[in-house]
Amino acid sequence: MESLVPVPVVLPLLAAALKLAIGGRLRRTQAFISVGTLAVVLAVSLVLLVAADRQGPLVTNAGGWPAPFGISLVADRLATVMLTVSSAVTLCVMVFSQAQAYADQEQAAPLAIFHPAYLIMSAGVSDAFLTGDLFNLFVAFEMLLSGSYVLLTFGGTESRVRAGATYAVVALVSSMLFLVAIAVTYGATGTVSMAQLAERFTPLPGSVRLLVELTLLLVFVVKAAVFPMSGWLPDSYPTAPAPATALFAGLLTKVGVYSIIRLEALLFPGGPVGGLLMWAALATMLLGVLGAAAQTDIKRMLSFTLVSHIGYMVFGVALFSVGGMAGAVLYAVHHITVQTSLFLVAGMIERRTGTTSVDRLGGLLGLAPLISVLFFVPAMNLAGIPPMSGFLGKLALVRAGVADGSPVALTLVAGGLVTSLLTLYAVAMTWNRAFWRTPPPDVAGAGTVLEGEETPEDAEGSGGAEGSEDAESPEGAGGSEGAGDPGERGGPGGPGGPGGPGGPDGPGEARGPGAAGAGRARGTEGITGREIVTSVRMPPPMIGATAALVALGLSYTVLAGPLSAFTVRTAAELLARRPYISAVLGSGR
Amino acid sequence: MEPLLILHAVAAVCAPALVRRFGRDAFLVLALPPACGFAYTLWAVVTGTPVASHHDWAPALGLGLSFRADALSLLMMTLVTGIGALVLLYCSRYFSAGEEGLGRFGGALVAFAGAMLGLVAADDLLLLYVFWELTTLFSYLLIGQDPASRAGRRAALQALTVTTFGGLAMLAGFVMLGEAAGTYRISQLVAHPPAGGTVPAALALVMTGALSKSAIFPFSMWLPAAMAAPTPVSAYLHAAAMVKAGVYLLARLSPAFGEAVPWRVAAVSLGLLTMVLGGWRALRENDLKRLLAYGTVSQLGFLTVLFDTATRGAALAGAAMLGAHALFKASLFLVVGIVDHAAGTRDLRELSGLRRSAPWLCAVATAAAASMAGLPPFFGFSAKEAAFESLLGGGLGRSATLAGVVLGSALTAAYSLRFLTGAFGSPPGREPTPLAPYGAATFLPPALLAVLGLAAAPFASWYGRAMDPYTATFAVPGHDAHLALWSGAPVPLLLSAAALAAGALLFAAGDRGARAGRLLRTIDSGRVYWALVRGTNRFAGQLTGVVQRGSLPDYLMIAFATLAGIAAFALLHGPVTTAGPVVVLWKRAEQPVVGVLLAATAVLAPFARSHIVLALLVGLTGYGTALLFLAHGSPDLAMTQLLVETLSLVAFVLVLRRLPIVPEEEQRPRVPPAVRAALGLVTGLVAAGAGVLAVNARSETPIGTLLAGPAERSGATNIVSALLVDIRAWDTLGETTVLVVLTLGVTSLVFLRRRTYALERPPAGHRRPPGRTYWLTATLPPGERAAVLEVVARMIFHTLLLVSVFLLFTGHGSVGGGFAGGIVAGLSLVVRYLAGGRYELAVAAPTGAGVLMGLGLLLSVATAALGMAFGGAPLRAFSADLAVPLVGKVHLSTVLLFDLGIYLTVLGMVQDILRSLGAELDRQIEEEAR
Repeated sequence: MESLVPVPVVLPLLAAALKLAIGGRLRRTQAFISVGTLAVVLAVSLVLLVAADRQGPLVTNAGGWPAPFGISLVADRLATVMLTVSSAVTLCVMVFSQAQAYADQEQAAPLAIFHPAYLIMSAGVSDAFLTGDLFNLFVAFEMLLSGSYVLLTFGGTESRVRAGATYAVVALVSSMLFLVAIAVTYGATGTVSMAQLAERFTPLPGSVRLLVELTLLLVFVVKAAVFPMSGWLPDSYPTAPAPATALFAGLLTKVGVYSIIRLEALLFPGGPVGGLLMWAALATMLLGVLGAAAQTDIKRMLSFTLVSHIGYMVFGVALFSVGGMAGAVLYAVHHITVQTSLFLVAGMIERRTGTTSVDRLGGLLGLAPLISVLFFVPAMNLAGIPPMSGFLGKLALVRAGVADGSPVALTLVAGGLVTSLLTLYAVAMTWNRAFWRTPPPDVAGAGTVLEGEETPEDAEGSGGAEGSEDAESPEGAGGSEGAGDPGERGGPGGPGGPGGPGGPDGPGEARGPGAAGAGRARGTEGITGREIVTSVRMPPPMIGATAALVALGLSYTVLAGPLSAFTVRTAAELLARRPYISAVLGSGR
Repeated sequence: MEPLLILHAVAAVCAPALVRRFGRDAFLVLALPPACGFAYTLWAVVTGTPVASHHDWAPALGLGLSFRADALSLLMMTLVTGIGALVLLYCSRYFSAGEEGLGRFGGALVAFAGAMLGLVAADDLLLLYVFWELTTLFSYLLIGQDPASRAGRRAALQALTVTTFGGLAMLAGFVMLGEAAGTYRISQLVAHPPAGGTVPAALALVMTGALSKSAIFPFSMWLPAAMAAPTPVSAYLHAAAMVKAGVYLLARLSPAFGEAVPWRVAAVSLGLLTMVLGGWRALRENDLKRLLAYGTVSQLGFLTVLFDTATRGAALAGAAMLGAHALFKASLFLVVGIVDHAAGTRDLRELSGLRRSAPWLCAVATAAAASMAGLPPFFGFSAKEAAFESLLGGGLGRSATLAGVVLGSALTAAYSLRFLTGAFGSPPGREPTPLAPYGAATFLPPALLAVLGLAAAPFASWYGRAMDPYTATFAVPGHDAHLALWSGAPVPLLLSAAALAAGALLFAAGDRGARAGRLLRTIDSGRVYWALVRGTNRFAGQLTGVVQRGSLPDYLMIAFATLAGIAAFALLHGPVTTAGPVVVLWKRAEQPVVGVLLAATAVLAPFARSHIVLALLVGLTGYGTALLFLAHGSPDLAMTQLLVETLSLVAFVLVLRRLPIVPEEEQRPRVPPAVRAALGLVTGLVAAGAGVLAVNARSETPIGTLLAGPAERSGATNIVSALLVDIRAWDTLGETTVLVVLTLGVTSLVFLRRRTYALERPPAGHRRPPGRTYWLTATLPPGERAAVLEVVARMIFHTLLLVSVFLLFTGHGSVGGGFAGGIVAGLSLVVRYLAGGRYELAVAAPTGAGVLMGLGLLLSVATAALGMAFGGAPLRAFSADLAVPLVGKVHLSTVLLFDLGIYLTVLGMVQDILRSLGAELDRQIEEEAR
């Protein structure tokens, strides 16, 4: 069983390497490799989850070098549950992105760049969850961050590059701080193995311990987008390609949360930091949700709720009780799933209408009932409407807060409930305007070409370019419904492609590209930043992937019993610390 | 209970399909689940079977599926299921055949019915909360049924936010109650109520929830607004079922906590206020539905008063009123729905002559309104009598309550009259309103409900006995109250007569009374709500504008300022080591020299006026670091650092071609440079200080010093490369992928949307002549060549490659390794490119960069996989010593394979960077120049 532990890291890397070596050729095989790899990772994660729950933490030493010397990979309950949920999400988003790229008739770039970056990023996320070594955690962060830089700036439109600059520089600064913190850690303790660190931090003088703890916390807080380091997130996420945003929203911030949990539970149990975290959590929740209430763009609104709800998890950690930790883990599981599905739906809305700006949307309930359902369910889940998982996580946290009983904790409970109310207000506002309201007259019909930010510089030279890495020419793809052919894009307001009719919008309503391009909202680009062709019919895999995630979010309600019991066991294991330490360093310790 | 709920859920999910299949007749099918519920409830009542079940759901969260129905619950269940079935029946003809959105409407309505059933049968606080919020959610969807109506959307949002506000407060209260009592089971809580501590606060929170749900002042505004919903919804949710949830909860908890004085006094006074205000507002309304809505608000206030008086008598009256109200109010709403559809309006200023054109409808409405006004022999009369009787006696407070209730009843009588005359009267000088025919399916439900209001009256005493088990749970008997068709008690009868007479007078006063009612507009909580919403929106917008600056420098300053704050916090909260820290300034003389130089370049960097100077200065810090490594006795690191720095410098310079020479001037930085400089200084101090403190605090032996032995035993003589490719090879693998993915990023940005990523071969005009090719043939046009450089580059190319391979192989024992080797190989390409341009690069490059990186990564990862497959651990090294003839003993190891992978990856990376930042930029520049 232990030998399976590195699979979630090694397998995606293997696939990425293979894809790089293949280049842009063999489209079907490549799609199969991506999806197959991630499916296997999901299966392995599930197996690990069950094994870690039954037998305690599973440990593998990379290179065969035991813990204090080498790097150990540790699959305990926390790691495996995060791993499982994240790989489920990764798989769904991969299916979604492939369908989107296929429908956009973007083949070469996604295969040659998007997929390897995606796979490496997911390997980085897995490594971050699994590693038992502080320095390797840094490496894992670098992996997932560098992958995310590529995905974020994919297509290189001006808005994406600008957002990418903010994102990358903030991430680099936090990486630098991470390195400093690791250096200080090694200086003070002479080790970077987390299990050994857990033993060696305790006897250190208070100031040094606090300094290290807080610096590491600052690093993770940047990753998790907790106040005061939350500003970068809503500035950078919404512009990325829809699947990338969805993946970031689900996973990257949760890696930060995961690290905070590890840090507080394993390395620095107790201490005065809990109080600081509480206030940070409160500020994160309230500022985030007020930001969400002020947005008129769905993606931006979702980015703000993303920040806001990180506060819930931090609150749970800061309580430092079994209930609080369990609540934080439960909420993380819920939040990964729901936030990702919402961003995917936002991607579909964009594809259907060409915008995610609420001001320019309307009447989606009638136009796209399926998208409406797929939005409504996770949106209400996010707002914590029972009996969905958002409520379960919130309930666990409220119970833990009330059980704590301190004035700060009760303030946080109140803040959390206010946040919940405002989240509901924000999503209901969006629903009212984007889904219910009669659409404003200038909303683009299906089949409309919305120009990208920059005109493709050599779209005409796509055909017989020499070079072995060239993809099959797009004309070969054909058959994708709704999307206009590249040849049609220059034409004046053409009908919505071969598969277009049948939707409520007749072809006559489609408008010319020149008129539609004028008022486009920020961030309306396809996966590679090209212009978007809106379409009535969504490719079935896109719908399927999103629906699968929505269903996953709902399944937590059915599985609430085992799931919540599991999170309680997870929290108990975390707070006991001993299982982790003795699994890594040997039971004698 | 669970099968019933599942039945509702299934029906709700299937509703859209059913409607698509059967049109509006689908409502007949949808009426089945509530009808089943009704049958079940009747069966339970008649046979006396206890309704109780418990299933675990999530014990760790305190959630359980506990259901239990006592007399009160059974009463509510009867109302919820019975009226639910009737309303769905009504829907089947109320809507016109092809109306849009019927599927989702039916689904939401049945789902609501299920949630409501669960709510009144739940025996667990948290489960009750689950159903509570579900009813809120479905109410939101039902109110917004007509998405085109702005009023409807606003009302839906208002109802949602107001009731969820209360609901969330209630959740907090529930959890506090549950934690205090140690159980969330309602039956146990009521039997053994917790006291003291947080319980009063918890009760206040719970009460907030109940009041908001039942539209008690100050939360009453949402209910009249919710009349934007289709009439069946108003009849069911906003008269019979959902709004009763709050009252139900009060009734549930009142036996246990009614003695808590603040809770009781607050609820009773708010109830009274609501009863009077609502009644008064109803006198002014011209829209029949809104008139009824204010009437409902008033009656809900009445019910709140009764249940929170918390005596047996009052509870009995409350239970009777609960049933009576549901019957007559649902009936009246349904009648209004018929009138609205048949006459095309529900404004009582426009209606006329309906008494003649629809006599049966008028009879039904009169019966229901009579029950509402409290006329004998209707059930409403019996309930009101009991209420008056139960409020007799007691102190001043009780008498004031009685007075308020009588006043409220007078108002009720007045608006009942107003309703009847408005809807069915024939004012002089108004043409009779034309009336379209209406179906039996719409007429039957209101008629049935109205008849029940009359038929139930003779069974009033039976009803009272049936409620005994519930009323008996109240500790205080209070004044005796009798529920009977004709109790014969003189005082209540007098009060009833007085109320009716006063009501008639109020009605007769007509507009004068209504004008007085205009004053009430000033205390309209709806205005407060919208002001609050606007305020929140404005506040949110402004706050976000301040917090979310969207400025990268700001975010960085926040980060560094936080770091400074962290240092201060750490020093304040943790004792510093008592012994002064030992600081060794330097061990070798080179170190301070290099250090000062490094610091100087760092200080100079911000003053650099052009990009190229900046790049050089940054490069200098890199070279300086390499020197420091060397001075520290670490040639491996020094060499790697040197190579990397050189490569970075080349990359920088290549990119700079596309940037303006001088950085764009910042528009007057918001934060003065001095502050930034200070922040930088503090950051440096914190980092350095933390290092000094940390090393001085160490008491354990560092792992690094313990590593030499094991490493040597494994055959490595160079500890640095042993760390890189064996002990911590997992890190190296990770960082290799980082290199790869970042290179991909560069490629993706530079090539943007070009479909081909291949290097361009020389164009046709420059093609070498067919036939023999010459080793030193130029690829550049004659005018642009630097012949000497080009030739030298070609001559050292292979030497460099050889050196790189040498480095690759010596890594295991001495200075070198795959990474250094890869960079040297890459530098050989750099030299070729710099000398000969992009076509030269195309000639020199062995194969596609992507393929190289892919192969390299594949080798490294395959080594990892090999270790997993055969050694149980990723990257476990295998080695073998082979005796090769002529060469001698050769040490082969998978470590070498891993290193080779790194070598290839790095080579691919350099080539890719040259291809994108070099060749592709060349091409773009040329194109622009053309």
